[in-house]
Amino acid sequence: MAEEAGSHSEGAATAAPSGSEGSGLDLVGLTKVFPGGTVAVADFDLHVDHGEYVVLLGPSGCGKTTTLRMIGGHEFPTAGEILLDGQSLVELQPHQRPTTTVFQHFALFPHRTTLQNVEFGLKMHGIAKAERRKQAFEALAMVGLEQLADRKPRQLSGGQQQRVALARVLVTKPKALLLDEPLGDIDRLLQLRMRVELRNLQRQLGLMFIHVTHNQEEALSMADRIVVMNDARIQQIADPLTIATKPATELVARFMGDNNIVNGKVISRDGDRLVVQDDHGVQASVRAADDSRGVGDPAMVSVRAAAVEIDENGSAPLEVNSAECGIVFVEFLGDLVKLHLTTGGERMLAKVAGDRYPLLRGREGERIRVRWKEEDVQLLGS
Amino acid sequence: MSSSSGPDPGPRLDVAEIEQAEELVEQRLPWEAALGEGKAVGRKGRRLVTAMWALPGFVWLGFYMLAPLAFIVLVSFWTHTDFGYEKVWTTSNYTELFHDSTYWQNMRTSFVTSLIAVGACLVFGFPVAYFLALKVRTLRWQIALFIVALAPFWTSFLTRSVAWTYPLMGRQGALNQALQKLGIVDEPISALGFSPLSVRLALVQLYILFMITPLFFTLAQVDQAALEAARDLGGNWWRTFKEVIVPQAAPGAVIGSIFIFVLTMGDYGTVQVIGGGNVTSVGTVVSSKVGAIQYPQGAASAVLLVVVLMAGVFVITRFSRLREEL
Repeated sequence: MAEEAGSHSEGAATAAPSGSEGSGLDLVGLTKVFPGGTVAVADFDLHVDHGEYVVLLGPSGCGKTTTLRMIGGHEFPTAGEILLDGQSLVELQPHQRPTTTVFQHFALFPHRTTLQNVEFGLKMHGIAKAERRKQAFEALAMVGLEQLADRKPRQLSGGQQQRVALARVLVTKPKALLLDEPLGDIDRLLQLRMRVELRNLQRQLGLMFIHVTHNQEEALSMADRIVVMNDARIQQIADPLTIATKPATELVARFMGDNNIVNGKVISRDGDRLVVQDDHGVQASVRAADDSRGVGDPAMVSVRAAAVEIDENGSAPLEVNSAECGIVFVEFLGDLVKLHLTTGGERMLAKVAGDRYPLLRGREGERIRVRWKEEDVQLLGS
Repeated sequence: MSSSSGPDPGPRLDVAEIEQAEELVEQRLPWEAALGEGKAVGRKGRRLVTAMWALPGFVWLGFYMLAPLAFIVLVSFWTHTDFGYEKVWTTSNYTELFHDSTYWQNMRTSFVTSLIAVGACLVFGFPVAYFLALKVRTLRWQIALFIVALAPFWTSFLTRSVAWTYPLMGRQGALNQALQKLGIVDEPISALGFSPLSVRLALVQLYILFMITPLFFTLAQVDQAALEAARDLGGNWWRTFKEVIVPQAAPGAVIGSIFIFVLTMGDYGTVQVIGGGNVTSVGTVVSSKVGAIQYPQGAASAVLLVVVLMAGVFVITRFSRLREEL
């Protein structure tokens, strides 16, 4: 399967995007407008390398699933191009594409046994019975289900059904595996394990995985790169660390959660250093070399909750990157404490280590000083 | 994490980790079950309630099915006289029947008619059910169109039968006139009316809903996502249809076939009205015997019919492994 890619596939095993022409998956200006005028996906550009794990993340209805379905051939794009190793997939039917999908809710065939479910793809591709038995058992061994080969899907647990769904697509040796909310239907504890194991399997296989989810934590824990979508458009494409610490837009900052947003005006500009102040007097400074905003222009910045520190001894007059807040609620979460604070406007959130809880317990209603560092402030685009 | 042994296991999931998590999840179940048990105070009381709900069904079955069945079996072993019967045990009703070639001739034609009806209902009913269940997307339209499909049942059987016989299918009927006008035939075809053909056509249109309904309900359970998965895994339309849709529709087809087999094989009303006396069936034979006050012989022929029907149903279910599918 890798031969076709020829010399381009050299870098396929590494996760880093090479951007080389003709290798991997390219989505170019992909657009889907449903009859009735609803724009599901608008002008979507993305390159995914072989061996890369990309997660499409966004709230429901943002177009992430439609994008995945267009790659798999289950929706026909209104405009744009889908190229896999330089070859267009747009005109091909799902069964002609070298992609396979793990569908939401698994979509197993209820009347077929585990083995027959896994064999299905091979049977459709006309592989002889003995050979497809062998390959199906190999795939079942991969997901640890050889013992349950004769069970019907309804006799399996949710986690086992999910592994059947996985074996069923892996057995066809796709070039790209598409996963639509693959962990959505299983219990949370199992979900946490499956994240690790699924990612580990993907590394061993060196296969391109494109995974759709609305679960931020899942995206951060599994992806090489995350594509955050909202309202049919890409908001940000970046690695998990960047998405978590440097959200590009207000939407990403809000959707990822636990980001404090200071929404106000630029009150001073000193070289590339902007100071933004909101209606309640909270000031935050940010370095923004390539931003052209001047004094008086509206601006929005975000600060991660984990970057907000308690400043118990702060008695000096308030300065930039600090705030005097009322404590609304002290939420203890074991490893950490979430302090819900107010400056009069939007809630602020500070995440501090769990061992500080004895000092914070029961202090709702009191005033507290918090501060953060300039390098943790992120200027948001619209 | 890597608990796998051996030199080179190849890419695989660490199943031990996953199963451990799953076990922890499963462990909650007995606890939840215990909760449910706590709520069910008074097991005896609950059993009584269950029995009360089951009672009307059993009364209904006993009164309308078991008692009459037992009674005709009983009567079939009594001796017939010129004016009725005596309560003297005999097997002569059956021995006479076994040598009655007319009876078996009718049994054969009824059986063939039944098979034709089952086959035709499957062939014509499947597309209707398929369309309703898989092509109509919204439940509202599914229900609306299903009611439209039921429309023939809103008029009485007799009204439709009368319309069917002379005006539509008779020698001077609309169909024959149309065929003549179109120049397809020169002479009116008399086989259209009061004939085995017209009886069979009528049976199909009468009973096809018994096929469409179970097919519709089984096809409605087909997961659209599973169809997409089949396409995704390399199945073209035909393979997907054959490998995924047909097997899932099979229980519905079997139930429909049983209905139609039993109903058409025993039918005598349609045969009498549509056939106009030119056509006979096992049903009409039984009916005429009863009409001639030969109750024991009528009962014996009815019992044999029931035996044949049960054998047929047994073959159908065996052949299709219905129990397993359901």
